[in-house]
Amino acid sequence: MSDGVFAVVGLFDSAEELLQAIPPVRARKLGRVEAYTPYPVHGIDAALGLRRSPLAGMVLAAGMLGAVTALFFQWWMTAVDYPIVVGGKALFSWQAFVPIMFEVTVLFATFTAGLGMLFLMNRLPFFGHPLLTSKAIAAVTRDKFGLAIEAEGEALDVEAAKTALATAGATALEVLPFQRELAPLQFMTRTAMGIFASCVVAGYAMYWVIKLFPVLPPMVHMEDQPKLNPQKASAFFKDGHGMQLPVDGTVVRGHLPYLIATQEEAAGLANPLPRTQPVLQEGRTVYNQHCAVCHGLLGTGTPTLTSAYGAKPANLQAQTIRDYPDGKIYHVIMKGKNAMPSYAADLTEEERWAVVHYVRVLQRAQNARDEDFQ
Amino acid sequence: MSPRPTLAWILAALGAVGVVAALFGVSPERFWANWLLWFLFVLTIGLGSLFIVALGHLVGARWSVPIRRAPERLSGLVVLAAPMALIALLSLPVLYPWARPEGALHPAIAGKAPWLNVPFFVIRVVVCFALWGLAYRILVGGSMKQDQTRDPAFSVRARRFAPVFMVIFGLTITLVAFDWISSLEPEWYSDIFGVYLFAGTFLAGLGASALVVIYLVEHGRLPGVTDDHLYNLGGFMFAFTVFWSYIGFAQYLLMWYGNMPEEIFWYKQRIEGPWLNVVLLLAIVHFLVPFFALIPRGRKGDPRGLRWVAMLVLAAHFLDLYWLVLPVVGTSPPLSWPEISFALCFLGLTLLWVQRAMRSGADMPVGDPLLQEGLEFRL
Amino acid sequence: MQSEAVLLPEALQPPTLFEGPVTLGSLDDQVLQYPARKPPAAWYLAFAFTSMLMTLGFSLIGYTFYMGIGVWGNTSPVFWAFDIINFVFWVGIGHAGTLISAILLLFRSRWRNAIARYAEAMTIFAVMCAAIFPLIHVGRPWVAFWLLPYPNQRGIWTNFRSPLMWDVFAVSTYFSVSLMFWYLGLVPDLASLRDRTQSGIRRFFYTVFSLSWRGAASHWQQYEKAYLLLAGLATGLVLSVHSVVSFDFAVSLVPGWHMTIFPPYFVTGAIFAGFAMVVMVLVVVRETMDLKNLITAYHLDVMNKIILAMSCLMGYAYLMEGFTAWYSMDQYLHHIFLQYISGTYGWAGWLTISCNVLIPQLLWSRRVRRSYIGMLFVSLGVTVGMWLERFVIIVVSLHQDYLPSSWHIYKPTLVDFGILFGTFGLFFTLVLLFARVLPVIATSEMKVILPGAQPAHGRGRHE
Repeated sequence: MSDGVFAVVGLFDSAEELLQAIPPVRARKLGRVEAYTPYPVHGIDAALGLRRSPLAGMVLAAGMLGAVTALFFQWWMTAVDYPIVVGGKALFSWQAFVPIMFEVTVLFATFTAGLGMLFLMNRLPFFGHPLLTSKAIAAVTRDKFGLAIEAEGEALDVEAAKTALATAGATALEVLPFQRELAPLQFMTRTAMGIFASCVVAGYAMYWVIKLFPVLPPMVHMEDQPKLNPQKASAFFKDGHGMQLPVDGTVVRGHLPYLIATQEEAAGLANPLPRTQPVLQEGRTVYNQHCAVCHGLLGTGTPTLTSAYGAKPANLQAQTIRDYPDGKIYHVIMKGKNAMPSYAADLTEEERWAVVHYVRVLQRAQNARDEDFQ
Repeated sequence: MSPRPTLAWILAALGAVGVVAALFGVSPERFWANWLLWFLFVLTIGLGSLFIVALGHLVGARWSVPIRRAPERLSGLVVLAAPMALIALLSLPVLYPWARPEGALHPAIAGKAPWLNVPFFVIRVVVCFALWGLAYRILVGGSMKQDQTRDPAFSVRARRFAPVFMVIFGLTITLVAFDWISSLEPEWYSDIFGVYLFAGTFLAGLGASALVVIYLVEHGRLPGVTDDHLYNLGGFMFAFTVFWSYIGFAQYLLMWYGNMPEEIFWYKQRIEGPWLNVVLLLAIVHFLVPFFALIPRGRKGDPRGLRWVAMLVLAAHFLDLYWLVLPVVGTSPPLSWPEISFALCFLGLTLLWVQRAMRSGADMPVGDPLLQEGLEFRL
Repeated sequence: MQSEAVLLPEALQPPTLFEGPVTLGSLDDQVLQYPARKPPAAWYLAFAFTSMLMTLGFSLIGYTFYMGIGVWGNTSPVFWAFDIINFVFWVGIGHAGTLISAILLLFRSRWRNAIARYAEAMTIFAVMCAAIFPLIHVGRPWVAFWLLPYPNQRGIWTNFRSPLMWDVFAVSTYFSVSLMFWYLGLVPDLASLRDRTQSGIRRFFYTVFSLSWRGAASHWQQYEKAYLLLAGLATGLVLSVHSVVSFDFAVSLVPGWHMTIFPPYFVTGAIFAGFAMVVMVLVVVRETMDLKNLITAYHLDVMNKIILAMSCLMGYAYLMEGFTAWYSMDQYLHHIFLQYISGTYGWAGWLTISCNVLIPQLLWSRRVRRSYIGMLFVSLGVTVGMWLERFVIIVVSLHQDYLPSSWHIYKPTLVDFGILFGTFGLFFTLVLLFARVLPVIATSEMKVILPGAQPAHGRGRHE
């Protein structure tokens, strides 16, 4: 830019004098007229012919946008993307969304008002403005009132401007040249570089903090809790194991203690379940799931796993077993026999008796009498 | 003579015929609910206006002095409300479960008997009106007298009395809310209800005062009162529209959130079924429309626009009271010849009363020492 | 004509906002001298003391981080105690500043100009103190950012139906808006400071932060518009923020908490406590910084009247709470209200009522309103009373709720107290720093109301 004249500014001692000086100065049409005051003066907007500020409309629009945005996001997050029912409330609990809608409305509106006023409307900061390095600025922010005629397009007629201001009553006339770009440019670049450098440093620091922070105490306190963990050692028990078997005599949930020691004693137990279709079907299901593996689907004891275990599962069709009262079969299920382990934990009491019924059915089926076919 | 008085008489007469017919023609609940509704409407306009007068004295506002005569005259409606209240006492056994002998059978109601019983209720009503009458005489009567005496001592007295009135007002408006409105359903309780009724009352006073002031300004009877004075009225209307909405929503939000049977039934009655339309309309006319209508700076001070908003605010306050009281009559909002008769009758009566009040005292409190400062007020 | 002839009685006199001769230049000289001067020894002493308290507080916060919340008194069933009491207390104190800056601006009150800057600064500091508590009272403060609804790999969103979530938005919005409002108000004054400072690091900071403000009338027009809009928006915040804080309690079903009057009751209490704090600090400021001609007896008088009005409103709220507790016929609510005034913490209930409703009635007397001892006594009482009120509401309602087998007496620990005093240290440290570095009175706003400042042509009075 050339070293032209930006403006001519004159000072007045009171707001009243300033206001009276504006019409004659504006009438001369020498350029754009701007006033500089230490505080807002009433009536000066009209005197300078300033257009009404559009901020109110912008702020209203921004506020409405905030309300809609908040409502949309809350609806989407609560009713669409992560819908869980909390407190028995509907997914789209608009009542609960209102407070945040209000706050976001105010937030959007406020930032539009503040930042819009500064950056958009006033184009601040502009550190290169010629008035900032003038003699007049100290007076204008303190107790004097400035009136300036600024160059608009073509070059300013400095003498005419000075005369116009002096006639209107201004004192301390001053001519403001355009700033040469370098000084403010250097300032701006230095500031921008400073901001950039701080961002880089801060970003790097944040990265390392986030990386290291979680592994420092107390953040790790919850990882190292004095409790029993599976498959880990524990100093709490004598044998040093974290996992322990239940104490002798522990009763399994849903089971009653079974105190009968031998098969002979169990002979007296009666099967409490009736021999009905559902019971037998349950018996079949359970037998096929748990017993058929070793005893075979027909109870004959020809399974696929015999070779693997080397033991020979009992043939349930054998005469001895056919002669067993129900109680003895029940006892074998409860306590096991020889190589067969106890199945007490695997079957509920109802299932066990159902299996006993089903074993009887199998035995009858393989050893059917002629009368059964009539 | 202007055509207005005749119109008011016609309305009142027509309405009165309908009201008498309704006394015999519809269920007692419906008749008395309408009576209660109009009693509350007239009372709250009067109380709201009296509050405005006292508020001006309390904060020593200058701008409101030139227009203070309007709410002073409107506060005379409290006097009109007194006989309406006496007659409304006849409605106690009809509308209020606790005033009926079978109320003693419900434990929730019977327990409240030390407060909710007919003799104590009547005493409270009488005391309220006595206090309001006293305040009216001090504030409004004194102001009218000051027109002649031009004695600034009244203004000093009014300034000292104003805080006392505020205490009286706070307690009595709460009593109106709790006694006349919320005890219609005695199992329900909400301690913000007094504040809620206050918000509506203040708005009603503002709306009515604004209408009177605009009328006077347009007839040249308030020289010196400018759009700037109206702007302040509009500003208060905006602020208290927001305040009413905030209080109303806060009460609803808390009861919705807690969802307790002893609280939520009151809302279920008022937002389900046909009443949903009423509550939606209420949200629109009591919040949305006045809020957006009063945002533009120009509208707040412009007499033409402000007049429509003031009328809407008054109508919205009426709808608010309708929504509060009428659900006890039934699940469907009643709107037929009884309601219209009541409206004609009491609108006519109110108009007549206000017209009479407009003839008392000067149009501006000419004896007030702060009047000149008030006329010089600019934004 | 009329009023000029009649002498106004004293009660109706216009407010004395300035005492003695004050000019545009003398305003600047009087207020803007302090950022350039070295502070007196008393300032250093005070600063040392408050910094010590602050350090104590932060150390105890660090200790809490390390050891866990168990070092506080919080235990079943009183899961919220000092943490939330202090949070509500500090957020409440902030509201007075916003009321003075924003609401009184909308009312075009001229007396607000002398105290708005200070009050708004106190709002920001109070909100900073308040914001500490939600962050430290969680079990894992280092992941407190999980409160923010950002897309995350945990696959969840925050629960928007919870008032604690509304709090996050409300308090952060309140802080941002207050900061913006305060900063914008500072810009013209920073410009004045810039132009009074010849060189050095201070001039650099004033230059940058004044954003090259030069007092152009076209700028003032936009600035005034934005300021007015911000005031309107901040007014909405005064109501909403403390209402949202009250929702933390009122949406629950705890007896004594689920009362519909909580939102306006909390807002009133906030303004009440805030004004008391403003009065206390302003008394110190006007004395030590010799600003009695700008912050006059009228200012203190009218603030005390507001405190009195708020005290009456608090009395109304207590009355409503008590009446409704009986009226509700709810045995749990009955029990809790009896606990408020008798039982282990009954002393707190009575002290609250005394400090909040009874003692401030002294302010009906003009003498008390204009005497330092009177107003300091009342304001200190209000500060203590408002803190205790939150204590009563929170601790009493929690310690004996629905299930008697869970009842337990709450005892705060030294760590609880230490953190509370630490926040006072933080608050006053910031206040002292503010007084040292920035102009405590908004000189540009004061210049607007100086007699003779506005041209008489076409414009009249402004109240």
